[in-house]
Amino acid sequence: MKKNEKIFYGEAPGRVFYEGRDAFLRAALESVEERFALACASFYEYEEGTGLLRLRQCHASGVSFEGEENLKPQPGSAAARALETMQPVRSRTSGGNFLYSPFRFDYSDPAGGSSVVPCLGLVRMERSPRARRFLPSEAAGADAYLRSFLRDYYKAEFFSLHRKYDKNVAAITELTEVFATALRVRDSFRHILSGIQTYFGFDRVRLYLIDEKNRKLKGELSADIRGKIKSIAYEEIPLEPGAHRFADIVLGRSSGAFMERYKDCVLYMPLAVQGVTIGLLIVDNLLSQQRIEPQELAMLRSFGGQIALAVDNSRLFDKVEELSLYDELTKLPLRRYFNQRFQEEFYRAERFKQPLALIWADIDHFKEVNDTYGHQIGDKVLKEAGRVILSNLRKIDFPCRYGGDEIVILLPQATGAEARRLAQRLSQELAEVRIAVPFSKTRELRVTMSIGVSTFPQDASSMDALLEKADDALYWVKSHGRGQIAVYSEVAAAKEKEKAGSPPPASLP
Amino acid sequence: MIIWLLSDYDHRKHLAFKTLLARFSAAYPDTAVEFSVKSRASLWESLFTHLRDPKRNPMPDIIEIPQNWTDLFSRLGLLAELSSKVEPLAQRRYPEFILKELCRNEGSAFSAPWWLESPALFYRPQALKGAVSDPEKELASWEGFRAALDSVGKSSRRSGPRALSVPGSSGSVSVADVLPRVWGRRGGLFSEDFNRATFTHEETAGGIEDWLELAVSGKVELFSADRFENGPRPAEESAFIISSRKLAGSGRSGLRMLPYPGYPSGGGLMLVYNLAVSASSQDPSGSAAFVSWAMEPRNLSFFTESFGVFPCLRSVFEERLRDERESDAYRHIFAAPELKPNMMVYPTAELLLERALWNLSLKIARGDYDREDLTRELIMAQGEADYLLSLY
Repeated sequence: MKKNEKIFYGEAPGRVFYEGRDAFLRAALESVEERFALACASFYEYEEGTGLLRLRQCHASGVSFEGEENLKPQPGSAAARALETMQPVRSRTSGGNFLYSPFRFDYSDPAGGSSVVPCLGLVRMERSPRARRFLPSEAAGADAYLRSFLRDYYKAEFFSLHRKYDKNVAAITELTEVFATALRVRDSFRHILSGIQTYFGFDRVRLYLIDEKNRKLKGELSADIRGKIKSIAYEEIPLEPGAHRFADIVLGRSSGAFMERYKDCVLYMPLAVQGVTIGLLIVDNLLSQQRIEPQELAMLRSFGGQIALAVDNSRLFDKVEELSLYDELTKLPLRRYFNQRFQEEFYRAERFKQPLALIWADIDHFKEVNDTYGHQIGDKVLKEAGRVILSNLRKIDFPCRYGGDEIVILLPQATGAEARRLAQRLSQELAEVRIAVPFSKTRELRVTMSIGVSTFPQDASSMDALLEKADDALYWVKSHGRGQIAVYSEVAAAKEKEKAGSPPPASLP
Repeated sequence: MIIWLLSDYDHRKHLAFKTLLARFSAAYPDTAVEFSVKSRASLWESLFTHLRDPKRNPMPDIIEIPQNWTDLFSRLGLLAELSSKVEPLAQRRYPEFILKELCRNEGSAFSAPWWLESPALFYRPQALKGAVSDPEKELASWEGFRAALDSVGKSSRRSGPRALSVPGSSGSVSVADVLPRVWGRRGGLFSEDFNRATFTHEETAGGIEDWLELAVSGKVELFSADRFENGPRPAEESAFIISSRKLAGSGRSGLRMLPYPGYPSGGGLMLVYNLAVSASSQDPSGSAAFVSWAMEPRNLSFFTESFGVFPCLRSVFEERLRDERESDAYRHIFAAPELKPNMMVYPTAELLLERALWNLSLKIARGDYDREDLTRELIMAQGEADYLLSLY
């Protein structure tokens, strides 16, 4: 039993501060059993609503134990009289000699409410039928001894509630911070859910967001009791009355009976910003079936506005970020985003001594396409090029619309040969694409790409040099007939030959 | 090393464990061991409290749990894997019916089966005179038992002793009370494929109703005032006793034992309790060593015999069965033993049923119970269990 040496006020011996109510109860019963030569001492809490005495802790034969016993004292019995009069009552039955010492105290709800939390019950002290009965003086002594202990029980209860209060205050401060900073961190939804789980510790928290365009409630993330977060993107609920209870809640049509049943262990919290519902946060203790404290529910509800705002802000932030980082036409990242990733990948390649290849592609005769068929057709060409590129890359590859019809692709951990293979595939797939041009004679258009490739560390040792060499290779292709692929090392070799006087090859391997 | 032991209505268990620990301390004086006895509800709450805030609510090193909590708490990451650390687990030295529900992942084990009990019917032949002529035959079925209770009840009201006593009762009708009867009717809380809850199925609801009827008719006293004033009644004061333990002094008081009524073809529901090592134990190997030590035949035999239950280790279990005075009845029970499923949502489903039974018990005690109440409570509990199944 853990206890520290902090002395409480009072006369009873061994008055120390116990860690937790249970430790305190064990000590109290153990002490009274020893001091008054009891066979057993039991602590019961009385439930006024049901009239039941519920056993919390027992001590007998040197062992403390919790019990599961709910018993109703007979009207007029010794226990019932003790509870009525709040005075100790002795009794002797065939089961043994008993002394009932009742207690009652009230304390204010530390959660800030005006209600009073009552604590009522009795301690049953027991001697075997053959042992001596409780004398009146002994009964008075035992009762006084217990009452002095129970004053500390009151304190233990109070401290326990006070700790909860302290925890709530800390939660308010820290959660406000969590929600306020959600915007600045990656995976802001995760951040919000983690914050809720850290301070409330529900069995589960789930976040659903409304997809207005498709009229759906879509699952986003779920956090379990251990704080483990997973995607629930597979959950999609049509946002129609009667389609699902979550939809009904969001639409404000939920049935009261259903909510009533779950009110103690589930909170469905629609998230609304300026009167518009944007999603649904569900917290539950369904697995443990443990009641969520009303104060916790109230506090989480009071955070509802902040959570909704944080969720909405991060969603907007994601949208803005997407707009500023991605090209709407090709769906490829823009140059600004590329520069950031290029730097990261280059440092990684340098540090781990891994190869890094760079492809620089240019759509052949793109200016003529625009001039001849108009910008709409030019846009279609770019869109198709973007589609072909995105559908052929690995997860770690990073493409970018570098400007106009120029596209750059970063290929981490790829050699020149691997980059060439990918370039060939892209080139071939794009060449096979037929772009409909209804007003032209041929009714369709086909385009090709010129591609230059450079690699680190073979061709260049810096970022700028790597870009420059890929551009050199591209230039070489453009000046040698277009529609081909050139790797810088081969271009360099060809140039050397040119310098030496050999005729330049029409194309590279 | 800190151990959490499940509390028991029979104080002999706590004392037996205390003695067991004294033996351990004598054998290993350098290892300090403390134990707390927690109620099932309190243990459940403590485990979840730990999950919510592990730093403020540390786990003990070793916990005793009902076997069918293993899947849930191992999935939640609370229990350490023991299959290679506890020799009887590594060698699978347990009866097959226990191993079957030990862990859903073949080859791993997050708790070691320790002891088991099975509810049975005890009767006092003298009290049945004139009411039952062939106990073995007449008390084999639930209907026969029920009729005998009525006959005995009539005479016992005159002569004093109660007709039926259930020493393990917590006061209300509980899951532990109704499940043997549900099993007897071939019901259960979930369908065989575990895809849906079956609380309202005829076999399950019927089994629950059979027991509730005992409470409604006053054969089982709810929230017993008498027990509060006088303590548990001695065995000799009841004609029938339903208990999953071998009763202390049952031989002296002339009690005889029969299988739980309503399993005509033999068999019975077994309740198995295991020892598990916390995944956050500061001394995982020392804790596993304690579990191994507790499983040693001598220690296991002493512990289980002290409060009238069976050991889980196959050799000790079989030896006990051979020595058992009531071995015919036990052979009948162990002919086709059945365990509660060890699946993630099962313990929660039991809690849902427990809550329904609590509400019904209060109604019965107030005298305003109606059959419709049972239907309503079971429909709601089943809905919640189904919902849980969809989530986990």
